[in-house]
Amino acid sequence: MASTAEQVPNMSGLESHVTVQKRAYYAPPWADVSIIGVAGSSGSGKSTISQAIVKKLNLPWVVILSLDSFYKSLTPEQSKLAFANEWDFDSPDAFDFDILVQRLRDLKAGKRAEIPVYSFAKHARLDHTTTIYSPHVLILEGIFALHDPRVLELLDMAIYCDEDADTCLARRLKRDVRERGRDIDGIIKQWFGFVKPNLHKYVEPQRKVADLIMPRGIENRVALEMISHFIEKKLFEKSTHHREALARLEKACREEPLSDRVVILDNTPQLQFMNTILRDIDTSSEDFIFYFDRLAGLVIEQALNNVQFESKEITTPQNYKYKGLTSKGEVSAVIVLRGGSAFESALRKTIPDCRTGRLLIQSDFSTGEPELHYLRLPEDIHQHESVLLLDTQMASGGAALMAVQVLVDHGVALDRIVLATYSAGRIGLHRLNTVFPEVTVVVCNILADQEPRWVENKYFRC
Amino acid sequence: MAPGNAPTQTVGPGFKSQAEKPQATVSVQVPFDNVRILPQSPQLIALLSMIRSKDTERADFIFYSNRIIRLLVEEGLNHLPVMEHTVTTPIGSTYNGLMFQGKICGVSIMRAGEAMEQGLRDCCRSVRIGKILIQRDEETAQPKLFYDKLPEDIAERWVLLLDPMFATGGSAIMAVEVLKSRGVPEDHILFLNLIASPEGVKNFATKFPKLKVVTAFIDEGLDDKNYIVPGLGDFGDRFYTI
Repeated sequence: MASTAEQVPNMSGLESHVTVQKRAYYAPPWADVSIIGVAGSSGSGKSTISQAIVKKLNLPWVVILSLDSFYKSLTPEQSKLAFANEWDFDSPDAFDFDILVQRLRDLKAGKRAEIPVYSFAKHARLDHTTTIYSPHVLILEGIFALHDPRVLELLDMAIYCDEDADTCLARRLKRDVRERGRDIDGIIKQWFGFVKPNLHKYVEPQRKVADLIMPRGIENRVALEMISHFIEKKLFEKSTHHREALARLEKACREEPLSDRVVILDNTPQLQFMNTILRDIDTSSEDFIFYFDRLAGLVIEQALNNVQFESKEITTPQNYKYKGLTSKGEVSAVIVLRGGSAFESALRKTIPDCRTGRLLIQSDFSTGEPELHYLRLPEDIHQHESVLLLDTQMASGGAALMAVQVLVDHGVALDRIVLATYSAGRIGLHRLNTVFPEVTVVVCNILADQEPRWVENKYFRC
Repeated sequence: MAPGNAPTQTVGPGFKSQAEKPQATVSVQVPFDNVRILPQSPQLIALLSMIRSKDTERADFIFYSNRIIRLLVEEGLNHLPVMEHTVTTPIGSTYNGLMFQGKICGVSIMRAGEAMEQGLRDCCRSVRIGKILIQRDEETAQPKLFYDKLPEDIAERWVLLLDPMFATGGSAIMAVEVLKSRGVPEDHILFLNLIASPEGVKNFATKFPKLKVVTAFIDEGLDDKNYIVPGLGDFGDRFYTI
């Protein structure tokens, strides 16, 4: 019995050495977004500073989220007060922090967030929303950016913009008269009725939780430099993590056989013949485009064999019955730019009215890290029965992993995704299969080594 | 084979379980080496379902039959002779590939066969296309040759003979005889069709054992008016006039 008791700590000691076979996962660079809060009084220069930082970095994945979007809608009575400058817009109660926290948590989890659109003209939220998706760094700016403890918990850096109250009032007067068409009496009434009392009561206490107190706003070059530097460091860390994660996936799966979800086109004499023409450096552009379109047609037809079908009884003109098939629902396509657009002509020949989303993924010139630059998908893509993901060449699989992750983040189930490509490297296929085993891949050529992206250069002639 | 014995099975990719795959009637199999049936993929069955249905409008009928014809032509071209050919690739490596050997031409049996010319041109841009008009003689009920216009050097070419519906094979047999009389060797003829009957395929395979038949689907049989069952009605009418 004594030995049993001794085994207990042993057992738990053992467990830490046992590597549990976990599903490999891909962390896109937008998972765990860094959030920077910029708070300060109205007119303290928050948005100017935020815009200056975004402009300086000039990267599509550094974006601003304004707390103004989260104003609560007013009732008709409250709205009347607001138009008479008798409504308090400068107290924390005016903001919907619950929604803000929810959206920030979504973004932190790498998900897409629908941001409300608030109309100052109507003092109400509009029916539509704007979408924020895949930022690596988010700047949250607003008078109460550091007010709610739940928000503070999510911040990587908290900045408080400090400015003399008279400067703030001067700026506010100028802005509201010029940009919002308000009259001076109203502005001053609001300032002394609400803005100033709240400044002392709620805004200034945020100084205590700030990491950085920034006086003199946009003129404070040193502070701006520090903030930019901090963001650049964060971006570099994210890029390193992303590349390391990709490298780890490569090691994990080098030896495995290909999954049965990888469908390779039959290597028929015609396919070899077309490949020979496509791969011949002396092939003219006319021939290259013609044969690529022809081969792409076969790739698309093969990809369509992997979408969802259901049985359907058919009656012929002679009234005979035939037990056939029909496509279960909508089949749409998502093109990974630029390469995937070489498939577009073949796609239109096969499904002329195919709805088509597009995303631009470019590999960074120096690090090779894939980066998502642009994204436009059909709104209801999560309801489509099947989604074809098109790209000409898949080398290391980084862009493919990212593209699949984008679809997943937009609610597309993995087993509805069919990736179709002209050529794929073994490593890339393994990576994709390890992370997303339910995704089907249709490929014409499997390569042992990685190739540069020559197909799109030849197809588009530049 | 008598109509009514259609093989029904699940169709779909190998990685799906039987339960996940839908059931459909697939092509009858025949014991002839020179008959090549397209793989019975779910997409092919769905395309055939579209063109078989009496509810399909003409525009859709044309579009979906063209897609199947395209697949037929691609498969047909696989049966042409090739030779090894090594090329240098744009990234500087060598690639051991294949190239075509010999010349080809198309010959369509008017009028339905002409519907397949576009599919052929989609794969072979400047291919020569001959035509043969064969009509049923009202008195004898036998097929009769009315007209032909073929490339002069057809004897030196591989011939892709085009006719979408292969019922009794009467006119196809006559067309092959015209080609042979112009010096085309039997084993240089590929007969492409969308839907064949077991009777037609059998007649042909016995009469021309060296000729290759490439078809998308072999149906159950023929009815008493020699229509293919279940078939798709009159292809020429549905493509051109209805």
